[in-house]
Amino acid sequence: MFKKVLIANRGEIALRIIRACQELGVSTVAVHSEADEDALHVRFADEAICIGPARGMDSYLKPDRIIAAAEITGVDAIHPGYGFLAENADFADMCASHGFKFIGPSSEVIRTMGDKAKAKETMIKAGVPVVPGSEGVLKNMEEGKALADKMGYPVILKAVAGGGGRGMRIVNSSEELEVNYQMAYAEAEGAFNNPDLYLEKFIKNPRHIEIQVMADQHGQVVHLGERECSIQRRHQKLLEEAPSAVVDEALRRAMGEVAVAGARRVNYEGAGTIEFLLDADKNFYFMEMNTRIQVEHPVTEEVCGRDLLKDQIRVAAGEPLGYGQEDIVMRGHAIECRINAEDWERNFMPNPGEITSFHMPGGPGVRVDSHAYQRYVIPPYYDSLVAKLICYGADRKEALSRMNRALNEFVIEGVKTTIPFHEKLINHRKFIEADFDTGFLDRTNLLEDGEAE
Amino acid sequence: MDLKEIKQLIKMVEQANINEIEIEEEDKKIRITKVSAQNVSVSAQPMAMPAPMPAAAPVAAPGEAAPAAAPEAKNENLVEVRSPMVGTFYRSPSPDADPYTEVGKTVAPGDVLCIVEAMKLMNEIECEVSGKVVEILVENAQPVEFNQVLFIIEKA
Repeated sequence: MFKKVLIANRGEIALRIIRACQELGVSTVAVHSEADEDALHVRFADEAICIGPARGMDSYLKPDRIIAAAEITGVDAIHPGYGFLAENADFADMCASHGFKFIGPSSEVIRTMGDKAKAKETMIKAGVPVVPGSEGVLKNMEEGKALADKMGYPVILKAVAGGGGRGMRIVNSSEELEVNYQMAYAEAEGAFNNPDLYLEKFIKNPRHIEIQVMADQHGQVVHLGERECSIQRRHQKLLEEAPSAVVDEALRRAMGEVAVAGARRVNYEGAGTIEFLLDADKNFYFMEMNTRIQVEHPVTEEVCGRDLLKDQIRVAAGEPLGYGQEDIVMRGHAIECRINAEDWERNFMPNPGEITSFHMPGGPGVRVDSHAYQRYVIPPYYDSLVAKLICYGADRKEALSRMNRALNEFVIEGVKTTIPFHEKLINHRKFIEADFDTGFLDRTNLLEDGEAE
Repeated sequence: MDLKEIKQLIKMVEQANINEIEIEEEDKKIRITKVSAQNVSVSAQPMAMPAPMPAAAPVAAPGEAAPAAAPEAKNENLVEVRSPMVGTFYRSPSPDADPYTEVGKTVAPGDVLCIVEAMKLMNEIECEVSGKVVEILVENAQPVEFNQVLFIIEKA
């Protein structure tokens, strides 16, 4: 097991990693920007190194400073969390060349899965069903148009260097394709430094179902079931559940086997997630693979009874996973609400500032993963996630009733948060009936919708 | 109080859940302060060194105060030279060479004051003002973090 680990991240995930390390008896080093001097992850770590000024690109996104901090504190391994450098293959290479174990898969796997077109090619070879579309990168607009005309509209143009909902354009007809292609090309160049695009059939109103996988360095690969992540606003997940109300045992087994096959194909190591689209007929198609721990990992932890961060660190240290597919049993139901410092009635406008009053909910089946505390000043430089509220119950009904109770108990004053939004969301008839897809939030106006219970 | 006893006390403080202990005995007084993670980001001292602590470590300071926080440049003529990066601070270009500068020495813009090394790359930190070195706040081979104060220069 590692003696010391550096956490190359901030906020709630940094705290989560530190907690796992503490339970494993591993010393922790936090790195932080000047804006995060009073952050909880800095206080909870055994050591802390300031690595730059407030802006992410001057601090948390500076690989050389993180490596330098790792050098002067003598760590064995670096945990990248999610976001920032977690899926930066060059950073993974740098860790390796400086003698630090990067807690995650190899840079080669990160590179392959980071290129969304290549990832798709790789999955096809592993027998994973994919959304029909172009074979890799489109050479030019004409190729895209010919393919789209043949497949039928609507189609979606995606940047190969995109992912996470970024760099995507829906095209509804042949006439629209040319101009959308040009715009998508330019946007991809600007945002990702890589203008390459690929084309897919656009599946209307799919559900976003993802499978959690875990692999050790000794060939053991398992899946830990699915997460339902269809509640999204502009491709950003706001609420996640495990299991999904529409996935039965047979479908879970089918998707899980396919996910494991995909992970095996690339010699995966560590925690990973394979995202699928599920259409109305329960056909599933590979969308992308995330080669990191995800924000919504707690719902899987709750229903499977496993600590994914500890597993991640243990397998990175070379330990065998210690459990097989037959040991994974999903029990009960878990829901996670992402509480953001946003004014949901004003288009979810970010709302940084001082939290004047803070009281977390408690009681049975309630878990809060948060770096916030009373008097904490939410900085404006990073994302707006303040807390993850996870509620667990014997079934979905109990989980929902606990979530209602916990949202009601949760006090965050001084900044506007999305707690009232979640209260409205989980009491909407369609949500209670689990009758939703990825388009649900974008077409439902919770402020006015009279469908609320 | 002999060295052996002091070493034992240091070990006790390390392991115990206390931050500071002060013991007075006849004519001797010792205060031992644990460098915690909270102090690290403002203190000029090295980051919490891995145990075991040698007796010469900054933690045990008979009669002295706890690790000093970076002194503020109260005088407007005093300029702080801060580290632009994370790394290890060196006073000289190489182990046997003379230090770049000393307290009391006159400096001019462009003069190299020290090296901060990271990832095997030596970065020369240059002075930006004319004046005199009033204080050197870090020791040779000490790890430093971003924006940590290294020197205080009195402007000419």
